[in-house]
Amino acid sequence: MTVRGWSVELVKCGAVPPVVIRELRRDLALCLAHPVWISDQSIGIDVAFSPERQQYAADVLLRGLLDPVPHEGLRRIGIVSEDLFLSVFTHVFGNAQFNGQVAVASTYRLTPSYSDQPPDPQCLRLRLLKEVMHELGHTLGLVHCKVPWCVMSPSLDPDHVDLKDPAFCAICADRIDVPQDRIFSFLK
Amino acid sequence: MSGRMPRLMIVDDERHVRESLAHWFTEDGYDVVTAASGQEALDTIGRWDVDVIVSDIKMPGMDGLELQNRIHEKNPQAAIILVTAYASVATAVQALKEGAYDYMVKPFDPEQLSQVVARAYEKVHLTTENTTLKQRLAAAEPPFVVGTSREMGQVMELVDMVSPTETSVLIRGESGTGKELIARLIHLRGTRPYGPVVAVNCGALSESLLESELFGHEKGAFTGASNRRKGKIELADGGTLFLDEIGEVTPKVQVELLRALEERKITRLGGTQEIPVNFRLVCATNRDLEEAIREGEFREDLYFRINVFSISIPPLRERAEDIAPIADHFLRRFATAMGRQVTGFSEDARELIDNYEWPGNVRELANAIERALVVCRGDQLTAEHLPIQLHDDETESLGGNYSMAVLEGRHIEKVLRLHGFNVTHAAKALGIDRVTLYNKMRKYGIERP
Repeated sequence: MTVRGWSVELVKCGAVPPVVIRELRRDLALCLAHPVWISDQSIGIDVAFSPERQQYAADVLLRGLLDPVPHEGLRRIGIVSEDLFLSVFTHVFGNAQFNGQVAVASTYRLTPSYSDQPPDPQCLRLRLLKEVMHELGHTLGLVHCKVPWCVMSPSLDPDHVDLKDPAFCAICADRIDVPQDRIFSFLK
Repeated sequence: MSGRMPRLMIVDDERHVRESLAHWFTEDGYDVVTAASGQEALDTIGRWDVDVIVSDIKMPGMDGLELQNRIHEKNPQAAIILVTAYASVATAVQALKEGAYDYMVKPFDPEQLSQVVARAYEKVHLTTENTTLKQRLAAAEPPFVVGTSREMGQVMELVDMVSPTETSVLIRGESGTGKELIARLIHLRGTRPYGPVVAVNCGALSESLLESELFGHEKGAFTGASNRRKGKIELADGGTLFLDEIGEVTPKVQVELLRALEERKITRLGGTQEIPVNFRLVCATNRDLEEAIREGEFREDLYFRINVFSISIPPLRERAEDIAPIADHFLRRFATAMGRQVTGFSEDARELIDNYEWPGNVRELANAIERALVVCRGDQLTAEHLPIQLHDDETESLGGNYSMAVLEGRHIEKVLRLHGFNVTHAAKALGIDRVTLYNKMRKYGIERP
C-alpha cells in the first residue's frame, strides 16, 4: 500500500551548523517532491549523553523528538553532529521509529575526517542526504532493500553509503509516493 | 521455508534490548518475534517456525544455555546466537560446544551482528534445503520399468535393505533385465547420493583397454597415451562404481581390481603414485560365477569381495504380469518423446506381446515398442508393427526339433491365435483354403481354446 500525503520537518539537535540543515532541506525537497521545512525549534542533546560510553543515546533523542507528538502525516527528523548509540549497539548512523513519525541522523561518522579522509563538505552533504532519506523511508514503513543502489539498501559503514544513490528504487519509491521523474531530474 | 521472510526470535529479559534488536532486524527485512524469558521462547517456538534465535545467556529462570538445549530438542535446525554483556572465554567455549551457531558480546557492532545473523539464516536455509532434497531422493520411486510383480517386489525389498549400507552388491540377472537401473537405485538410496555413479561395461573392452579405463594412465604409459587420464575408479571417488559384466574380466585385471578393493588405493598405468579412492562397489553379471570359479576363470577371493550381498533379477518371462504394464509404460514414454498420438495396443499386438518369451528381457521389449512406434501410422500399435523377430521366435522355442512338421504346426497355431481362431481369416492369411486348414489343425492337434 502506498503511503501518501506526508511531509518532513527537520529539527536541529545540539550544535549542528545551520548551513548543513539548510542544504539538506533543499536536497530533500528536490528528491522527495513532498514538503520539507526546518523547525524553528531545536532540541538539546545533553539529556541523551552517556558518560560511560561518551556517546549520545539515539532512543532518548527519538523520545525528545516525540514531544510534542507530530500530527499525522508529519515525519520529524532530528539532525545531530554527535556520535549516536543504542544500548545494544556500539554505534548507529541514525535511528527511526519504524512505521512511525520520528527519526534521527548523525553526521559524526559520515564526516570524511572520521575515516581519515580529507575534508570534503560535498561528500558529507551527500552522505547525510542519503542517511536521512534512509531513516525517513523506515518511518514510512520501508525495510532494507536488496537493490544495491537504492537508498534503502543497508549500509553499515560510510563507504557503503557512498555506493548508494540518493534515490529510491522504483519499488520503494512507489510505496512511499515519491515520483520517479523527480528522482531522475535530480540525478541529471 | 522458501517464499517467506526469514524468521528471527530475540530472547532477552531486558525490554530495551528486545525492542532495539527487534526494531533493527525488522528494518532489515526479518519477521521478528520477541520473548522475555526462556519459557516464553519455548512456548513461542511450539507455535512458530523460527530460523534464527538471538538469546541472552544470563536471564532469570532458564538461562540461555539451557534454553539452547531445549530449543535443539524442539527445533534442531534453528541456529542460535548467544549474547552476553559479560565476555568470558569459558562461557563462549561452552556455548559453542553445546551447539550455538555463534557467541557475541553486548554492545554489538551493528555490522558484525547483521552479518552473523545473515550467515546463520543462510546456514539454516541451506540445511533445510539439503534435508528436503535428501528426502526427495530417499523417496525416489523405483524406475517403473523394473515392474510391479511379486518377484520384483522382493527385489525392491532387498534394494531397500542394502542401500543405506556401504556393502558391496552383486546384481545377477539376464541381459536386459535392468541391472544398471537397480545399481543406480542402490546408489540414490545409499549414503552418497550426491556422488557420481560411474558405470563400466567390463565385457565390452579388451584387457588393456579395460585396465586403462579402470585405473587411468599417465602420459606416455603406452603408445597413444598422449595425456594423463583419470580412470573410472578414481572418478567414482565419493560415489558408486558400477562394474557391469564383471564375469568377463580377465584374470590379470581381476588381480588388479582385487588389490584396489582391498587397499582402497590405485596406481595409474605408467604411474608410481598411489591414489586413495573411496567408492561403493556394485557389480552385475549374467554369468554363473560359481561355475567360472570351478573352471578357474574367476578368482574366488574377488568373488567373495564383490558378492557380499547378492540380488537376483528374474527374467521377464518368469514374471509375466510385468509385461503388459511395462509395455504400456514404454508406449506412453516413446509416443510422448516422438510426438505420436498412439494410444494403445490392438488385441493381436497385446496377445503377441503377452505370449512372447522376451529373451532380451525389458531391453528387448523397449526396443520392440520403440521400433513399432516408428512404423505405426494409426492410433494403435498392431501385431504388424512389431519387429519381425517377435513373429519369428520359433527357433527360440523349438527345443532342438527343427523338422518342417513341427515348424508348420507352430506357425499355423500362431496365425490362428493372431486371428482369434477365425479359420476363414487364418486360412486367408496362410494362403490356403479352409478345408486344408481344418485338416492341418487335426493333424497337428490344434484345437480352438
